[in-house]
Amino acid sequence: MLKSVVRAVGAAVRVSSATTSTARALPLSCPTLLSPSSATTRPFTRSLWMLNSNGASSGYRTKLFSSKVLNPSVSCGCGGLHTEGDKAFGDFLSDEIKEERKIQKNKSLPKMSGGWELEMNGTEAKLIRNVSGEKVTVTFNVNNSIPPNFEDEAEQGQQKSGEEEPEIVSTPNFVVEVTKQGAKHSLVFDCHFPEDEVSHGEGEEESDIFAIREVSFQPEGDTEWKETSYTLNTDSLDWALYDHLMDFLADRGVDNTFADELMELSTAVEHQEYIKFLENLQGFVKCN
Amino acid sequence: MGVVLRNLQKVVPLRRARLRRDVDMLRHILGVQKFDLGIICVDNNRIQQINNIYRKKNVPTDVLSFPFYEDLRPGKLPCPLYRDELNLGDIFLGVEFVMKQCQEDSLDLHGALTVVTAHGICHLLGYRHETEEEWTEMLQREKYILSEYNRLTGRHLEPLMKRCSQDR
Repeated sequence: MLKSVVRAVGAAVRVSSATTSTARALPLSCPTLLSPSSATTRPFTRSLWMLNSNGASSGYRTKLFSSKVLNPSVSCGCGGLHTEGDKAFGDFLSDEIKEERKIQKNKSLPKMSGGWELEMNGTEAKLIRNVSGEKVTVTFNVNNSIPPNFEDEAEQGQQKSGEEEPEIVSTPNFVVEVTKQGAKHSLVFDCHFPEDEVSHGEGEEESDIFAIREVSFQPEGDTEWKETSYTLNTDSLDWALYDHLMDFLADRGVDNTFADELMELSTAVEHQEYIKFLENLQGFVKCN
Repeated sequence: MGVVLRNLQKVVPLRRARLRRDVDMLRHILGVQKFDLGIICVDNNRIQQINNIYRKKNVPTDVLSFPFYEDLRPGKLPCPLYRDELNLGDIFLGVEFVMKQCQEDSLDLHGALTVVTAHGICHLLGYRHETEEEWTEMLQREKYILSEYNRLTGRHLEPLMKRCSQDR
């Protein structure tokens, strides 16, 4: 299981270079980037320090840091902090959850055609299918599965339909594992939805609906991804070999129809998990 | 680069390796192996959309060709100066349209796709069928390509234009 998640998440990081996770990692990995800004941050930090404690020798505290914001304004006796902001936040979440439930197409998840069984583990979904002694497993995670340029597209909209919201589509990377009976290794395909296909809608798309990024053998049933296994990258692959790999997947039920249904399923799971998250958030912000 | 193959539809289950092999054989027969070629497989909706945009015909069709060289004399190969000019252009295959025709006529889909692609490549090489003369010239070329293809593969494919004379 871990094997697939690491794979899918790793791939996600590679695709979107401007994700928050990479931005967060930047100061640690690039110490040189810190030095130009340190000149400007130091006086500011010090001035805050001066305001806060008026120097190390004084016990005097200014009003800035002793504002009533720190004091709970709404009390319920649970011992937790409650502010006016929390209350507004809770109300906002309540409205948001109502709206999201309204646009939720269906409470139950869409079914995949072709006899796939679905197993869910949090945000990770696993589709399993047995075909004549072969086991095919497709794993994907709905986290970070919505293309980042979604909002740009919405802004570019021609304002013709006013309030109409553009549809959010989840296009996760997915890992296909094909295991033959009695074999020690599974053949593993790291697949993705090319971005130009999913973001341009009715435009002149040039990419396949889904594409294979990497192929390798991995020990059957192993949870850890073995980096020492040879990994075939499709970037510079003989196209005839690539086509055979695509046909191989199609024979096992992983074709354009499957990819399309996977997008629908992932979109529904993502939305379900989003609503669940909002509910948890509301519960956390509000008092239990 | 060779043949860039894209399958943008989900209506027709395609064998990509078979399609590529057939297209490669057509390139070989025509002596255009060194030229890149795009083959894009689309459904009825998409090809109708493209047909409407570029030819003002709001109907689905079997094939639409977009030549890289627009004013080639039929039968004369382009003489590119640079590597990125080694390109014949793109062929959009209306695979859903072709599949329906195959179902009606009990024909093999991939055989029909080969015939349709041969027609498309002829357009990329400057052949037209707007006049009787052009039509005859193009038909002859298609007949030659498919007879060579049949000789090499043992199949029995026939030119598209024999059955259908509307322009594409």
